[in-house]
Amino acid sequence: MDLLTWTGQFGSFLNPLILASVVIFLAGFFTNFVLTVAGVRPGELEIQGDGTMAINSTPADYALATMKYAVLLFVLCCIGYIIGGLVLPTMEQKGIFGAVGQRFLPVWIALIVTFALSITFKRRLGLYGKLFDSLIGMIGFGLVMFWVFSAIFASLVAPFDALDQISSMRNEVPGTPTPEGEAFSHYLFGGDRLGRDVFSRMVLGSTYVLQIAPLATLFAFMVGITLGLPAGYIGGKLDTVLTFVANLVLAFPVILLFYLLVTPEIVQAGVPQYMSMVLFLFPIIFLVVLFNSRYHTQPTIRNVLVGIAAVVGFWLYFSLISDRANLDSAVRFWPESVDLFNIPGNLLIVFVSVVFVNSPTVFRIVRGITLDVKTRDYVAAAQTRGEGPWYIMLWEILPNARGPLIVDFCLRIGYTTILLGTLGFFGLGLSPESPDWGSTINEGRRLLTVYPHPALPPALALMSLVLGLNLLADGLREESLKD
Amino acid sequence: MADRTPYDGPILEIENLSISFFTRLREIPAVMDFSCTVMPGEAMGLVGESGCGKSTVALGVMQDLGVNGRVVGGTIKFKGRDLNKMSQEELRDLRGSEIAMIYQEPMASLNPAMKIGKQLMEVPMIHEGKSEKEAYQLALEVVQDVRLPDPERMLKSYPHQLSGGQQQRIVIAMALMSKPSLLILDEPTTALDVTVEAGIVDLVKGLGEKYGTSMLFISHNLGLVLETCDRLCVMYSGEAVETGRIADVFDNMQHPYTQALFRSIPLPGADKNARPLIAIPGNFPLPHERPPGCNFGPRCNYFEEGRCNADAIPMAELDHGDRHATRCLRYAEIDWDAPPEVAASTEKATIGDVVLKIDNLKKYYEVAANALFGGGDKKVVKANETLTFEARESETLAIVGESGCGKSTLAKVLMGLETATDGEILLGNKPIQNTPIEERDTGTVSNVQMVFQNPFDTLNPSMTVGRQIIRALEIFKIGKNEAERRERMLELLDLVKLPRAFADRMPRQLSGGQKQRVGIARAFAGDAKIVVADEPVSALDVSVQAAVTDLLMEIQRREKTTLLFISHDLSIVRYLSDRVMVMYLGHVVELGDTEQVFSPPYHPYTEALLSAVPIADTSIEKQHIVLEGDIPSAMNPPSGCPFQTRCRWKSDVPGGLCDKEVPPMRTLADGHEIKCHLSEDILSRMEPVIKIAAE
Repeated sequence: MDLLTWTGQFGSFLNPLILASVVIFLAGFFTNFVLTVAGVRPGELEIQGDGTMAINSTPADYALATMKYAVLLFVLCCIGYIIGGLVLPTMEQKGIFGAVGQRFLPVWIALIVTFALSITFKRRLGLYGKLFDSLIGMIGFGLVMFWVFSAIFASLVAPFDALDQISSMRNEVPGTPTPEGEAFSHYLFGGDRLGRDVFSRMVLGSTYVLQIAPLATLFAFMVGITLGLPAGYIGGKLDTVLTFVANLVLAFPVILLFYLLVTPEIVQAGVPQYMSMVLFLFPIIFLVVLFNSRYHTQPTIRNVLVGIAAVVGFWLYFSLISDRANLDSAVRFWPESVDLFNIPGNLLIVFVSVVFVNSPTVFRIVRGITLDVKTRDYVAAAQTRGEGPWYIMLWEILPNARGPLIVDFCLRIGYTTILLGTLGFFGLGLSPESPDWGSTINEGRRLLTVYPHPALPPALALMSLVLGLNLLADGLREESLKD
Repeated sequence: MADRTPYDGPILEIENLSISFFTRLREIPAVMDFSCTVMPGEAMGLVGESGCGKSTVALGVMQDLGVNGRVVGGTIKFKGRDLNKMSQEELRDLRGSEIAMIYQEPMASLNPAMKIGKQLMEVPMIHEGKSEKEAYQLALEVVQDVRLPDPERMLKSYPHQLSGGQQQRIVIAMALMSKPSLLILDEPTTALDVTVEAGIVDLVKGLGEKYGTSMLFISHNLGLVLETCDRLCVMYSGEAVETGRIADVFDNMQHPYTQALFRSIPLPGADKNARPLIAIPGNFPLPHERPPGCNFGPRCNYFEEGRCNADAIPMAELDHGDRHATRCLRYAEIDWDAPPEVAASTEKATIGDVVLKIDNLKKYYEVAANALFGGGDKKVVKANETLTFEARESETLAIVGESGCGKSTLAKVLMGLETATDGEILLGNKPIQNTPIEERDTGTVSNVQMVFQNPFDTLNPSMTVGRQIIRALEIFKIGKNEAERRERMLELLDLVKLPRAFADRMPRQLSGGQKQRVGIARAFAGDAKIVVADEPVSALDVSVQAAVTDLLMEIQRREKTTLLFISHDLSIVRYLSDRVMVMYLGHVVELGDTEQVFSPPYHPYTEALLSAVPIADTSIEKQHIVLEGDIPSAMNPPSGCPFQTRCRWKSDVPGGLCDKEVPPMRTLADGHEIKCHLSEDILSRMEPVIKIAAE
């Protein structure tokens, strides 16, 4: 069997088209640039006497329109490759892009269903629905959901396992056929230094990233909110102390902190575990206080809700921090029979460090919004009817701070993803053979000048996910401001 | 540079102007078929409720409608040149030199990072290319013209170092720097206190005469327009409904909306029991939901089916008066002099026992001079100084004063958000001055409740209306279960005359007046004995104010509530209160029955306050008293009498007593007390500030 081409059979007519679209786009861009420098403005909407409106187009408008159509053509060509991958029978005809498109089939279906449902019901879906009014937001949401679905369907999409090695496939270029009898006929994005499939590792890596990043961000938010609300609302000495501590953490170099946390002596001493004991306590406090402040006037409901929150919370908490099987573990008292799960030590360290580094920033944002919202009359109204401070913080202030927090949440998942990549790149935290994107980039870096293909796919994947999150945040921000 | 060729014709001619804003969903017409003419030296008032399009007209004149706004028809001619057809460069030359605009928030119009002098000097340097020296001289002159003390120091200061009133004077000075032909003032005094407002109004009037500037004065306050303008134009829902000379429109109104507007504002003579206000029924239509035909039709008493809602109604020129026009088909048929149908007058409620007694209450705050380290000298802010008064069941006690007079602090101490420094508050027989709200029992908390000022802030935007009332019920331990509380919540909605369907709405779906009603319902959730209403209607439109005020009165009559009505609006205070307490810099300066306070002898401050309030009635003659300067800072109060720095009677007190000691509270008549050194015979010589001219 031969090496696959990138674009397969459809490439013969799609390639010239896609090239043309790029050329047209660039031409349009330069024309527009020259025209703008020369002082030509885009035409304005004018109201005519008879009640109709007209746009008097200028050359600048035509240049902009050309660019728009070039982008459209480019997107259509890309869809063409994917369709080629789905309809053409043999691997040679599909090409690498086509085959990749075909592997992602479950993801495409899920994406189409999500978008179709969301757009149909967008007027009923609140802020989420409004997102579909903004092109930027839709692109961002699409990119994010692409990786979310990839993570969900990773085992279907990836043809090989993360650690499957084929010795003859070491450093082979993309599209190289595998020997007879293997699970899949080709290494679509080539093989890495140890003969593992780069494509499969990229897809499987998304599972790691998308499990840790949002969860770590959520924990960081819980910590930040639980501390930021009282700092802003009560103020005074408490605020001074908490802000000072937050500043200390922020002032400490992040990478140095990570190196410290993974130093064997520190791990032996159980520092990460003690830190996790403190940090993971916050979500439980948060939930218990949330329910108690709301329902303390109705003791029955309060007892049930607080009870559930406390029991489930502490069960998960002890399962998380205690590891009886591991003799090195610092916390080992929780009986194994009720221990739900154990987190590998280095994953815990990554998690703790990410939460620890992110929560001060969240703390500052929450504190700032609280300072603003607490001056509102509805807060005074709650005070004058004798509400407790936690009710006011969690039920009067927090819901009205949600706008900026949701936007920051999206952005912060992006930062966390990059942080995880950085950690992986420095070989901190996760095990070296893990397929997460940071570690894979680090792995590929060593032979980058000779074989760039193992490092590029995870790098592009990381980039597209973070780009998607940023666009999503932009879209949310833009739409939440409109009415 | 603008050419300054003399021009005799009208300064501003607007003909059939229509302005629309374009949103994603639809075109929203903001102004329709609007015409007006401003002659040289004339002051034109634009009056209307919020959302009627008056500011849009001003922005249209400035050609500054933003990205979404467009002039879709008609012409705006400034000195005969059509502004719509001018290029951006030509417009830039006009703005700030020939046409100047003054906005509501002075701080937003000044650059906080630039000294006042620099900002003022920019105007002639840019528009007329003057040298720095000439510009400085001019700036100095203009600052003197706007009657600011110590002009040279003013020019060297930054905006934040000045008070609100001084800032607004600087903004006016900036507008005058280029000697504009047209000055547009968009609610220039709304953000200011009444006595400061009176000063600004006085200034604006004087400047119009001195510089011969034409003015377009935008306001929601009919009284202000009466004091400042020669002509006015009443707007409703994007249209001018009536226009003419002040005297014609005020005394010979020819449009039902104008009439309804005048009937809904508390003029002297209105009385909550005998002659209650008449609120305009219904709500202001949204711009995209305007009815066919007359916009005011659905709320109009003279509405005629098939005629008023048939076609668009043109402006009709009247044969009497000077350029007096109305947009009403039936103006000739309506008997404008017919007395209004008096809404059922009610019995005066009997006033019961004392429920709240405040004795020698003091509230001081300690402010560290150096906030960061808490060290240094401590300064004491005396927010409340020896307050003594009592309030009875079913009584409305108005607390009047300008910002910084300590009325909000008093409310806070009463509510338990702060504890008193000294003195006593007796609720019933229970002292509560030292019990913070956390330690008060549910009964006490639910007995003293509050209605807040800003309707857009008073409800939590992310909770349904019903939920918020139910929460109050939960806290006050009313109702055994959720179903009972829900039932009680629906009853409360009935009480404030809101449809029960509102229970499931979010606050953003309600109008300002409706939100305020929910706020009232929430305050009465626990059958409050005492309700502190902190300017409950001042942020509402005139036509809504009347309805909300009457609602408060009605509930008060039914529930026998004591109402502490905090306000700076003396017209409304006179209308609804039984007794009035005037506060200045933490002191009670006058306390008495409404009649006693509103007639001589006055405390000098009350006298100035009464004179400052604009009254929309041409038959009223007012004594003209303008207070100099601003309210002193509570951080650094004057020695002796708190009012001595601005008092015009100070020279009548012998021996400089005012500088030395705080006057004692003196009883003039039964229940009428003032805090002043003036001797009996001077007090008895005081003339009434407001006189109704003999018809």
